[in-house]
Amino acid sequence: MDVSDKTLQALTTALNFREMRNELISTNIANANTPGFKAKKLDFEEALARALDVDGQMQMNTTDGKHHNVGNGGFNNLDPEVYDNPNGVVSESGNTVDVEAEMATMAENKLMYDALVQLINKKMGIMKYALNSER
Amino acid sequence: MDLLSSLRISASGLAAQRKRMEAHSSNIANAQTTRTAEGGPYRRKEVVFGSEPARDTFSEILEGELAENAQTVHATEVVHSDKVVYKHDPTHPDANSEGYVAMPDINPMVEMANMIEAQRAYESNVTAINTTKQMAMKSLEIGRGN
Repeated sequence: MDVSDKTLQALTTALNFREMRNELISTNIANANTPGFKAKKLDFEEALARALDVDGQMQMNTTDGKHHNVGNGGFNNLDPEVYDNPNGVVSESGNTVDVEAEMATMAENKLMYDALVQLINKKMGIMKYALNSER
Repeated sequence: MDLLSSLRISASGLAAQRKRMEAHSSNIANAQTTRTAEGGPYRRKEVVFGSEPARDTFSEILEGELAENAQTVHATEVVHSDKVVYKHDPTHPDANSEGYVAMPDINPMVEMANMIEAQRAYESNVTAINTTKQMAMKSLEIGRGN
């Protein structure tokens, strides 16, 4: 068994992205009163699903050696998308931060982060169990 | 790009909101002030916020797009209003020859409303700091107790 298998890789990558999202939410909350500030959003779910390629639907065949590999199963060049939140309501100062929505997203993000930590611990527990069990 | 820079961003929000609170407290306290060190009545203060990329360390400067998007907030400027209102009060020592006194253009209700807004924004930054702190504590549990 490979110690850094797909599961553990996916979990740590997701953990990383959750940290990034937390940082962007902090930015939005801190800048809730900054004139002209546009609320930022981070999307990584799709990129992660593409990297995991769970159902094999996103697989693209490379029939020639010169073909580029179009992102499947690769965690190294995963690119999360950061963009201005299109759902923001523009206030008179040009600011688009919705503080309530940001607080809710932050709470959700924290829960998911905690869940990821638990999953990583479970995964490690399984590996340790495999190491210790007698034949 | 980590939890510590999230903390730094929220802390910048706290500092900025506190500065705003100070300005509005000063406005309320000086609503009737007619003599200042610069001469003339007190001039109403307003704090203007601006955002800038949160790049404190060398490694963060090296990072790309995401580092640009994580932004701290700063009180970039304190704007002094030049508006004065003239109040008829001939007995006032600072009244002019027609009996009018130049008073600061301050509406205590507006200042109070702004203070409440600053307080709420401060609280939301505190909540963000607590959430980030809990996440950092949780991450220390990785690999423990197996």
